[in-house]
Amino acid sequence: MTFAIETKGVVKIYEGGVRALDYVDLTVKAGDAFTLLGPNGAGKTTLMRILTTQLKPTSGEAHIFGLDVVRRGAEVRKVMNYVPQEMSVWTDVSGYENLLIYSKIYGIPSKVRKKTIDEALEVMGLSATAKSLVRTYSGGMIRRLEIASALLIKPKVLFLDEPTIGLDPSARKAVWEKILSFKKEYGITVFFNTHYMDEADLYSDEIAIIDRGKIVKTGTADELKHSIRVEYIHFGLKREGIGEEILDKVRALDTVSDLEVQERELTVTVENAETALVGILDVLRGEGVGIEKISTAKPSMDDVFLKYAGTVLSRGTGIKEVRQVRRIIKKG
Amino acid sequence: MMKDSLRAMFAMMELELRRLGHDRTEIYTRAIQPILWLVVYGTVMSSIRAIPTGGIPYLDYITAGVLLQSTIFVSVFYGLTIVWERETGVLKKLLVAPVPRYATVIGKCIASGVRSIFQAVIIIPAAILLGVKFVVDPIYMLLAILLLFFISGGFAAISVIIASFMKTRERFMGIGQAIIMPLFFGSSALYPVKMMPGVLQHIATLNPLTYAVDAVRGLVISGDVSHLARDSAAIILFDVLMFAIASLVFKKVIE
Repeated sequence: MTFAIETKGVVKIYEGGVRALDYVDLTVKAGDAFTLLGPNGAGKTTLMRILTTQLKPTSGEAHIFGLDVVRRGAEVRKVMNYVPQEMSVWTDVSGYENLLIYSKIYGIPSKVRKKTIDEALEVMGLSATAKSLVRTYSGGMIRRLEIASALLIKPKVLFLDEPTIGLDPSARKAVWEKILSFKKEYGITVFFNTHYMDEADLYSDEIAIIDRGKIVKTGTADELKHSIRVEYIHFGLKREGIGEEILDKVRALDTVSDLEVQERELTVTVENAETALVGILDVLRGEGVGIEKISTAKPSMDDVFLKYAGTVLSRGTGIKEVRQVRRIIKKG
Repeated sequence: MMKDSLRAMFAMMELELRRLGHDRTEIYTRAIQPILWLVVYGTVMSSIRAIPTGGIPYLDYITAGVLLQSTIFVSVFYGLTIVWERETGVLKKLLVAPVPRYATVIGKCIASGVRSIFQAVIIIPAAILLGVKFVVDPIYMLLAILLLFFISGGFAAISVIIASFMKTRERFMGIGQAIIMPLFFGSSALYPVKMMPGVLQHIATLNPLTYAVDAVRGLVISGDVSHLARDSAAIILFDVLMFAIASLVFKKVIE
């Protein structure tokens, strides 16, 4: 079976000795949405630039549908397309004109050109604003236009580098809905970098966690969550506060790895909630702790990430990001 | 392969045309400087009559030089946009397009010619108003515009070459000025090469601008096209050389 993307021992050492990638092995199945999840500086963009034939790896091999990205770069460029993290459209012409120029560069025959562009605009929800200068677009619209331009050639693999960086939640959602509907329609493979946990969780078939140039774990969102062997039991207490000696007794149970009390809620971290619950309940009842309700929760991607990469990623959009994106848009 | 390359180059020229279709402010503001050269410098110097111009009024004599000065201003600063586009994602995107990389580089350079032509077309009526007499021959005029277009590509390539070694835009701005003015003064734009000191004469014969000025002056002012073949060959050689070097060093821009 030929994988859409396959890398073997990819190493990239930049001038000055920075080791950006350290023996990266990855396989991505055709038709999957694959996420490379990691903090800033983990090597996500470097790997994507190697896969898109912009950079050569220091050692190791990478293939796109069996084509070596170094030796057969020209063929690779015919089957994939790419949306870089930075803005990749011209702001001083209209959205339609952007796609027109790109379609000519991509060699789309003149007979189907207009139809292809109109379709791409339609799919990305930009038909109504196609004639406006891109300078007047919002951040989300610019991103959708960039994705539209990448879809002109119906690539077999679509690379997206931080596709929703700096966008507000509703714009992010809109961008993802469009990407996924297109992926479904044409069966393309989507490979994207992100540092948003929720996007990795919601939109990908498989996730690889990258940290300091190494792939530390790969799997589906569920597999990853399962693999860290963490679940939470929340006890709603009748009264605020709980004695320290009672907590010590709960901690002493074999099944309990951690616990935390916040106002009227006790959260116990266990490996398996179903089997641990009875033991904990016995202790609490035995000590006369009044319980109003019990719920259990699976771990989040944040827990997974914390476990494998050893750091926590910020969930929201930092001010630095917003500034960066603004700057890019302004520069046009 | 060749077809892909030409297609990409034409697309980049079309982009430039479309940009100009939306906003021509820069063309107008950039016309101020060359027009000042004609109005102020040209008028003052022609009253002195100290420069042998071979019977042509001095103002007419420098018109070709001023046209080319505006061309290299446009093209050298246009080459700068390639550094700019490195900071945005446009360049990355072009580099992963199914088009040879040299086509991206040459296409960018050639597209500067589109802007140069528009720039020249604005200066010509201004010169006519000042009393400059042009050769009335549409074919000569078209040839001159074609030459402006091609020399522009070569200068944009010089700019790309320099930009490949510069990491910031600010540094580049200074360098842009530093190459334009010596090229301008070290050519036959304002005075005949024969009037220059010996060393400078040698430099002027290596300066592509000298040949471009000579060709354009012959075509649109004096009507003397006896050097046209030599001048055109020099311009083509210059372009080919610069395009080749720019394509080679361009790797530095992306890494």
